[in-house]
Amino acid sequence: MKISRNYLEAGIFILVYLFALYLWTLPFQDNASPYGEFDAISHWELGDFIAQRDRTFVNLPPFLDYSYGDDNKFKPHTLWYPPPFHTDFAIISVFSNDRVIPIFLTNAIFASSILISVFFAIRKLYGFLPAILSSFILTFSMRDILPYIWGQWPERFAYAFIPLILYAFYMYYTTYSKDGSKPIYLYIMSLLLAVNLLVHPLVFFHSAVGLFVLGIALFIKDRKIPFNVKHLGIALILFVILLAIFPYQTGNVFVSFQQGGDEGKKASIASLFSWAPNPADFAGSVPTEYFSFGAMHGLWTLPFLLIGLGVLLVRRERRDIFLLAWLISLYLILHRDLIGKATFLHRSLSATAHIFIPITVIGAVSIPSLIKLPQNYRSFLKYGLAILVVALALVYNLPNAFSTLNNSYDSPLARLNPSQIEASEWLRDNIGENQNVSIIGPPPQILQKVWWMASYSHRTSAYFEGFLAWKIYEENREEIIQNHLSGDYLLLDYTDISLLSDRSLVNQWQAFEQNTLQNHTLLYNKNNIRVYKYEAS
Amino acid sequence: MKLPKIQNIKLIGIILAIVLVFFFSILGFSGMMAALGIILLFTLPIYMILDNFGIDQDEKLVFSFFIGVGVFPSITYWIGFFISFRIAIFISFAILVIAAYLVTRYKNKNA
Repeated sequence: MKISRNYLEAGIFILVYLFALYLWTLPFQDNASPYGEFDAISHWELGDFIAQRDRTFVNLPPFLDYSYGDDNKFKPHTLWYPPPFHTDFAIISVFSNDRVIPIFLTNAIFASSILISVFFAIRKLYGFLPAILSSFILTFSMRDILPYIWGQWPERFAYAFIPLILYAFYMYYTTYSKDGSKPIYLYIMSLLLAVNLLVHPLVFFHSAVGLFVLGIALFIKDRKIPFNVKHLGIALILFVILLAIFPYQTGNVFVSFQQGGDEGKKASIASLFSWAPNPADFAGSVPTEYFSFGAMHGLWTLPFLLIGLGVLLVRRERRDIFLLAWLISLYLILHRDLIGKATFLHRSLSATAHIFIPITVIGAVSIPSLIKLPQNYRSFLKYGLAILVVALALVYNLPNAFSTLNNSYDSPLARLNPSQIEASEWLRDNIGENQNVSIIGPPPQILQKVWWMASYSHRTSAYFEGFLAWKIYEENREEIIQNHLSGDYLLLDYTDISLLSDRSLVNQWQAFEQNTLQNHTLLYNKNNIRVYKYEAS
Repeated sequence: MKLPKIQNIKLIGIILAIVLVFFFSILGFSGMMAALGIILLFTLPIYMILDNFGIDQDEKLVFSFFIGVGVFPSITYWIGFFISFRIAIFISFAILVIAAYLVTRYKNKNA
């Protein structure tokens, strides 16, 4: 069987992408318990709830309404995100008949799909070598990996749409003429833009700015305006239809955009000379190294990046304008605080690798064309530089990416243990949807355990582990026990007892159980977890 | 709808088998099924529709995945609001395959 060049290239890309997926799935290859911060919990539970309930919903169920009832500013108590992203999880969870692995794998494929879209766009414009190198280096992009394991799931996926949206527009623009054009690209762009908005609104605005900059740049280059009422009309109709499907969530996008979040913050002119926002503004929530070019991209990329930028600026072919417009749009988005739109500014920084890496690779493989050499030496040097780039990525970028992914959430304190999963499933099957479950047990430093148990059981969790220890409950703890917990279910969890350094907490829980719960109905008693039905006296 | 050549089907089959074996080896049966579901439900129906519009093979593949992850769940979400979500998945798949068939017929008639 003769294998064509296209198939060979596709085969190499598939190998690179499977290698990337092997790395990105390390956090759940050996441990099938869900993991992640509060954001990850919310995304997992939205998909899981639909799959387990076998129905979708408009109004939030109680366990979601408890935490997210006001997040939809347009229509409170409904989904705050457009449903497709989480419905995707539910579909794959149902199809695979499993609650954890399918959702986490789908997310890993979505989050790493930037490798697909960058490979695709760069291959179409610059050929296979820059494309496969870009995709390969993106595998180790820490600015993608960190938000991925923290739990900013929809946003990670949404960034993969930007190169495709820009490419579709680029193709429509460059093929447009009065005699003939390819409007299919405009329709595809319109559909991708709508799906982009449905996946994550913040990134949609990035795509829109990218289209604006690319449109102006191409106009300056070609002096033509591709204006066709029929094409634009159909594209607009496709866009509106997709958004009209979810009016509450589309409404939330516009209301949230008008209200803003951190809009009071003043940006300084000095920030124009820096790509990254000031790390001090995000102290405590985002690690400082996330804002460092060296720590995230590797300083070895900088010379190649600057050469690549120089090549694009000097050459200014249409394809170069494509990349420059993408880069400029990212710069504008990262400095939107100057016009008072500072919400999630640090999150936009996570998109830097997507454009920096292709320019870095173009810089590296363009070096031979800058030197006067015979053609065969030039090819030799080009492939030599490609091997050098791969080697540098393996030496400087792979170790950090591997250790981060391999060691993430591998502490037993970070994930639900089998006893907690079993108890959570019992709660879901035996406690009413409107009942509150108060989980008392896991130590304060691992708050995620309680959230994950609430998520896994689809039951509300209030007064969790801090209830017995936190000062905010000090004054009215007895009153809460007597009144508020009436009708609640109390779960006492001693399963992590051997991992605790502070034994006083355990003593507090045991004393609370003996003094307060001995006259209440014990419903579940297994593996050091007990569930009581608390009846107010 | 144009069917791929038999040699291409063989090659696509081999690639698919490698991908599924890979996911089975690292994540077990549910990992393999998840990968199959993403290809079958999100990518295939939209690919069948885009196959009628004279764009390149790689463009069809990539665009169908990225459009499919938005269109397929949007249909399933609303059907799943009224009936079983499991059945809604099946109906959504059928709707998109029928749509692909109708687009092909329309394009062939007007060719």
